[in-house]
Amino acid sequence: MRIGRFVGLVPLLGLILLWQGAVWAQIYPPVLLPAPMKVLGAFGGHGGEILANTMASLQRVAIGIGLAFVVGVPAGLLIGRFAVLDRLFDWSIQTFRSIPPISLIPMAMLFFGIGDQPAIVLIFLAGLWPLLLNTIFGVRGIERTLLKVAAAAGAGEALILRDIILPAALPNIFTGLRLAVGGGWLTVVTAEMIAVKSGLGYMILNAQMTFRPELIFAGIIVIGVVGLLGDFGVQRIRRLACSWQEGLTANAT
Amino acid sequence: MSARFIECLDVGKTYQGRNGAVEALRGVSLSCAEGEFVCLLGLSGCGKSTLLQMIAGLETPSTGQIIVAGRELDGPSPATSIVFQDHGLFPWMSVQANVEFNMKARGVARAERRARAAEMLDLTGLAGFAARYPHELSGGMRQRVGIARALTTRPRALLMDEPFGALDAQTRGHLQRELLDIWARQRTTVLFVTHSIDEAVFLADRILVFTPRPGQLAAVVGVDLPRPRDPRSEGFAALSRQLRGMLGTEGGAE
Repeated sequence: MRIGRFVGLVPLLGLILLWQGAVWAQIYPPVLLPAPMKVLGAFGGHGGEILANTMASLQRVAIGIGLAFVVGVPAGLLIGRFAVLDRLFDWSIQTFRSIPPISLIPMAMLFFGIGDQPAIVLIFLAGLWPLLLNTIFGVRGIERTLLKVAAAAGAGEALILRDIILPAALPNIFTGLRLAVGGGWLTVVTAEMIAVKSGLGYMILNAQMTFRPELIFAGIIVIGVVGLLGDFGVQRIRRLACSWQEGLTANAT
Repeated sequence: MSARFIECLDVGKTYQGRNGAVEALRGVSLSCAEGEFVCLLGLSGCGKSTLLQMIAGLETPSTGQIIVAGRELDGPSPATSIVFQDHGLFPWMSVQANVEFNMKARGVARAERRARAAEMLDLTGLAGFAARYPHELSGGMRQRVGIARALTTRPRALLMDEPFGALDAQTRGHLQRELLDIWARQRTTVLFVTHSIDEAVFLADRILVFTPRPGQLAAVVGVDLPRPRDPRSEGFAALSRQLRGMLGTEGGAE
């Protein structure tokens, strides 16, 4: 049986119905739980504000995750390739990756003040570990015969890294990127509630303080939808970049 | 033509395992003339693949020395190319890119790579498949790509590690005949590892018989049956029987 593409929307629509039901039943006063239509109205009334804050959050995530990619992937390729580097850095990586980026907010504010910088640093850290670890994992999983082919052919280290190690690790790198984008998005919202004066996190907190519950809900919805679209985006790029994988794995979505 | 194109002198290999040292190969001395087709025959665990990997420069012998094309090995020699049982094709590269890889590694210019790749794809019956990816090919086709890639650097010796071991009998027969054809045309030396007695008798000028634990060269058997060989002929059967006795498997090593 073929299931339609948009069947994933069904539970979400169900949730909205449930929400509308709860509003009608007046389980909570309308000042706490605004009706779906009212929240929808907020997108009209505060459209500019929502858009500006969404762009601010997206920009921070793009910069932070971009930096994490540029640092994490090459470092992961080298650490995965050379056992010496692995032994040197393994304990450090395991120590630092256990620290939730959120717990570093106070320190980031001391060092960088209030603004973009502390947020970007935290997003960078949130994205770095999944990218680094998945890249290392991908390099380690490479088929040994392929490295033997390269060695027997007399291939130099640069060619091996670029033509063999990198493409072999690419599916895992995309898994890392998926986790990094997800983690970065979680982190940006939290960081904006504390250390920044713009973005979706700031907007939600501000809406609470100025008592605009419909804007709180609108912000939450935007966060969820952007998270979903971000994940779709990463998966799409992955399918393009790893098309050679089709037919090799049971579930190469 | 050198009579001692590949030479092993008292070569041994010991691995340091978790439960102490494991001797994979002991005291192997052999030589192989240029243009010769030599099969290394033995049951699994007899060290024949280990020996081939050492001749390919992928592993270093624990004792003894290996000389290829007049030079003691200190890594892979440009005079040899290796073909693996699981073909070792890069799944993210097209057939064309796979075949060009060994030349790229040796710094051959792009135009030259194109030309030689086309020549070898033609030779191995792969013309028209250059744009395909490995997962779109059958096992036999993949191994053809592996052989084409190995030939592009014009090696003086082709080292083959059970190249047809994973193929069905019919495809295997095809590729054996094609390999003999390529060998006759290119006049390369071939060192061919196999555990199949019939395969060794069909292909080799000379068969080196290995016995396990530790791997040792037990006998050298010349094959003077006329080519092309007929597996149903009297001489073929007699030689197979003789080898079966040497390997100590009455039921055969197939």
